[in-house]
Amino acid sequence: MKRDLISVEDLGRDVIEHYLSLATRVEALTPEQKVSNLHGKVLATLFFEPSTRTRLSFESAMCRLGGSVIGFSEATSTSVAKGESLRDTVRTVECYCDVMVIRHPRDGAARTAAEASRVPVINAGDGSNQHPSQTLLDLYTITRFFGGLRSGLRIALVGDLKYGRTTHSLVQALALFPGLEILLVSPPTLRLPAYLKESGAASRVTLRETDDLGEAVRTSDLVYMTRIQKERFPDEVEYQKVKDAYCLSAAMLWDRPHLRVMHPLPRVNEIMPDVDETPCAGYFEQVANGLTMRQAILLDLLGVVP
Amino acid sequence: MTEADKLFSIPKIEHGIVIDHIPTGWGLKLLEIIHSYPEMTSVVATVGLNYTSKKLGKKDMIKLAVEDLPASILQHVSMIRAGVTVKRIKNYEVEKRFVVELPETLVNQARCRNPNCITSHERDVPTRFQRVDPKGERYRCAHCERIFPVGELEVWIPTP
Repeated sequence: MKRDLISVEDLGRDVIEHYLSLATRVEALTPEQKVSNLHGKVLATLFFEPSTRTRLSFESAMCRLGGSVIGFSEATSTSVAKGESLRDTVRTVECYCDVMVIRHPRDGAARTAAEASRVPVINAGDGSNQHPSQTLLDLYTITRFFGGLRSGLRIALVGDLKYGRTTHSLVQALALFPGLEILLVSPPTLRLPAYLKESGAASRVTLRETDDLGEAVRTSDLVYMTRIQKERFPDEVEYQKVKDAYCLSAAMLWDRPHLRVMHPLPRVNEIMPDVDETPCAGYFEQVANGLTMRQAILLDLLGVVP
Repeated sequence: MTEADKLFSIPKIEHGIVIDHIPTGWGLKLLEIIHSYPEMTSVVATVGLNYTSKKLGKKDMIKLAVEDLPASILQHVSMIRAGVTVKRIKNYEVEKRFVVELPETLVNQARCRNPNCITSHERDVPTRFQRVDPKGERYRCAHCERIFPVGELEVWIPTP
């Protein structure tokens, strides 16, 4: 039976730990050991929304494992522009590939694609809903920084918690690890939706809300910054009010050398370039870990044990 | 039953289905839903509104000249309010009586309230809602994963 990666909601802690372990094994392989694993397999990338890291890292992951890549990076160049339904597009593309990655502006589009497809589907972001491969690479990065998702670890999620799919997925996953202390930092209008707070509240994770970035820097082990996403706001005026709500600079971090800063990228103004030169900057290592985790995901869904 | 209720009461039926304890104000809406099912379009029905009820204060009631109700209609009934009573009548007697409960899953019976949900934008994508907690009245959209109280879901019958 084919498996998909659509939502953190579908993953238990055991599945997440399986991916973390698999990524560690993939990391240890030499390029020569990797390159024969997916020889003859084809990945299709269906990107209905812009992407740099997610699309290129999946493509690079497939190439480094010996497979090939087909796909599109904007819907205007496909039959979708002629009015083709998502399900018909998926049923067509599945004939050309062994696994597909989809990014789409509508919430739930990846689930719709997975239900239509006979090959595994990976959700690379559906509207403001989920981004599970980002979450897995985030957890892998946290594990590498702190030696695991241990009880007492203090994690601040900062920025657009209302529309941000990376934080939506991440907070659901963190809720599976008891004892974590999560600080939710956002303007009042961009608070985490109630249905997602429930997943934390139902577990033994501590969830607390504030709008103070300074508190997050002073009290956390990890600050996970996110961009205020203009494209998700229904109202431009509301976006203008909060677009520069948070800006992290090196001056705020000088006495916190053990703090780690992560960001799913792209950033705009929320992390100043001078932070890149501090020992706190973890976001480019996070990018590199994305390649490893996406290799692990492709191998797992295609049933190949490296 | 008050004198007014007696005067305007729906006559007893020999055979058919009685849907009782409908929250007042929902009787006509429910009848509209029932009649929108292709197999129910021409079913003879009577509806009574605003009867006095010990249980609800006021209630609506529907009587239908059918032998049984499809499960999908019963699920629509349950979305109006769990606790609505359905009675099957044979030879003027109640042959079977049960209270409608909320189902575990609602398939193609409600629209998602999230304006960005894929089910609101793609044709032919069936809606599906899963009950979140066994005793609660909240449902999660299987596509966009948002959670809504059943009372906030828009009852919907897809066009055949």
